[in-house]
Amino acid sequence: MAGTAPKPTRDLRLDFFRGLSLFFIFIDHIPENVLAYFTLRSVAFNDAAEVFIFISGFTAALVYGRSLATNGPLFATAQIYRRVWQLYVAHIFLFVIFTAEVSYAIMVVQNPLYTEEMGVADFLQEPHLAIMRALVLAFQPMFLDILPLYIVLLATFPLVLILMARQRMLPLLISFALYVLTLRQGWALHTRPGHDVWFFNPLAWQFLFVIGATAGYARVTGKWPFPSARWIGQAAILLAAAIAIINFSWTLHWIWDPFPPLLAKQLWSYSLDKTNLAPLRLISFLILAIATVQVVRPESRFLEHRWARPVIICGQQSLYVFCLGIVLSVLGHFLLAEFSGGFLMQVSVNLVGIGTMIAVALLLNWFKSASRRPLQPASSALSVPSE
Amino acid sequence: MRLPVLLIGLLGVALAPWPVLAEEPQQSSSKCAAPADIFQDDPQLPKISEQLRQHKPVVIVVIGGASTAGTSPDSSYPYFLEAALRQRHPGVDITVINKGIAGQTTEQMAARFPKDVYPSKPSLVIWETGTVDAVRSEDVDGMAQAVTEGLTDIQNHGAEAMLIDMQYNPSTVSVINFEPYLDALHQTADQQNVYLFKRYDLMKYWIDAGEFDFINVPKEKRLTLAREFYACLGERLADAIDYAAR
Repeated sequence: MAGTAPKPTRDLRLDFFRGLSLFFIFIDHIPENVLAYFTLRSVAFNDAAEVFIFISGFTAALVYGRSLATNGPLFATAQIYRRVWQLYVAHIFLFVIFTAEVSYAIMVVQNPLYTEEMGVADFLQEPHLAIMRALVLAFQPMFLDILPLYIVLLATFPLVLILMARQRMLPLLISFALYVLTLRQGWALHTRPGHDVWFFNPLAWQFLFVIGATAGYARVTGKWPFPSARWIGQAAILLAAAIAIINFSWTLHWIWDPFPPLLAKQLWSYSLDKTNLAPLRLISFLILAIATVQVVRPESRFLEHRWARPVIICGQQSLYVFCLGIVLSVLGHFLLAEFSGGFLMQVSVNLVGIGTMIAVALLLNWFKSASRRPLQPASSALSVPSE
Repeated sequence: MRLPVLLIGLLGVALAPWPVLAEEPQQSSSKCAAPADIFQDDPQLPKISEQLRQHKPVVIVVIGGASTAGTSPDSSYPYFLEAALRQRHPGVDITVINKGIAGQTTEQMAARFPKDVYPSKPSLVIWETGTVDAVRSEDVDGMAQAVTEGLTDIQNHGAEAMLIDMQYNPSTVSVINFEPYLDALHQTADQQNVYLFKRYDLMKYWIDAGEFDFINVPKEKRLTLAREFYACLGERLADAIDYAAR
């Protein structure tokens, strides 16, 4: 983005696919959404969450890695924590929305039919405890489970980055060990002792973030740390196609029962554990990423197309658009539930939501460049690039 | 570019009448009718089918949570299921046993099968589950595993199994993350080839159609409304059993 120091042109693929994953995350978060048949999860074992976390790790290493090299660890850490703070505030905002929604629900649904469902309001019996738990990220119902992962990943990122600057593969090794141990030992973060695990287990998901960061950091050092033989790319394309066929057959089966779901008996249960970033999901994502890099080159024409531009801008303003997307899906869900979710209503909620995300991203983009202009000469080194 | 044309094409497809929307109610005679596709699920119940045809005694155990227990012994869907089945199959000795206990997760329910289910020697076990798991944000994967193991266990005890998913209410689904639990339940049923009764979809259909309204019900009418609803649900569940035992 405009704020970063002069450098080789920005890789628009990162912005494009991150923007796309933000749309998919929004769409997937609206339940019983017809459009959700057309998102990434219909053609891969993973979904947009993996894409978002990987690219976030990649760009975090890219942006803060450069900052670390020029401004030192303290400044880079401060920059990262500015982001963490914004995410934290957004999380608390979502907590307030959730509390309001639950209060509304128990007000209008006083019916003996729904005694178990009303357990969702148990936290209102002890609001003082609920507020404290929300503040320490230990209260994660419904849509309050997404930001805590991102907060933890970014909050620990200065350490990863500083290690990476010393030995670029070291964080990846530690991260891999942690991932394997988490899967084998069943380690989990609990929001309450005994029960209620974090829906996105940071101990597992950190691995994907660090893979992304290791790849992103290579852009800072100019040295690619992973094997890059041609056959790997070609194999990845073939495998990605196979994965797409398998998953699409599942989607079709889901829509129209008689259609046979390929290999569902063998594979389906392995793709289920999103909490711990099941290996099948991770591998599926990595294959998809390698294949995408083969097929879509940085200079690809479609990235310049005017239809790609709104997606790219959303990817560039990802932090705000991500938070906004969650709030919008909460509102969209509420609207669909309260005022019947007919097909036209569903499509409108989707379109209005995505339109709002794009509009806000464009506004932020304009505001950022407009407010930077008069200060340009003096502040170019200090301006905070968006990660 | 071609993109606008493509978008218009997609929109055309999207706006064309979709099969689900065009569904006509099946039982036009009864008060709480349901669209036919609610019941369409492949897995069958050959054992029950055989027993009904040969007029042998049928024992059904319904295990589940608060919504199975109902508001009183004669105000629950298993109670009305028994009445409906007896009426439809005169001369067959049909017993439906209600083992609903409020506030249990899938795993906790599975743990009481040996005590609550098998001693009655049921030919069919109807398992209503998922609500508490979703309310407490329990591990989805863990729930799916518990369902798989529970179903296998039921079948190993010589009974047929049937699943019932969660209840729907516009206000509760905004605050409880049912989606992944519903998905897991449906997919597990599909994998295990077990009939799943789509209570969630059925309630959504009724509420959207204005058949039932559970919002802002005056205090004195709540119990009556619950009983009316259970009667409808029991009736439709009997349809489902007849469909699966065809």
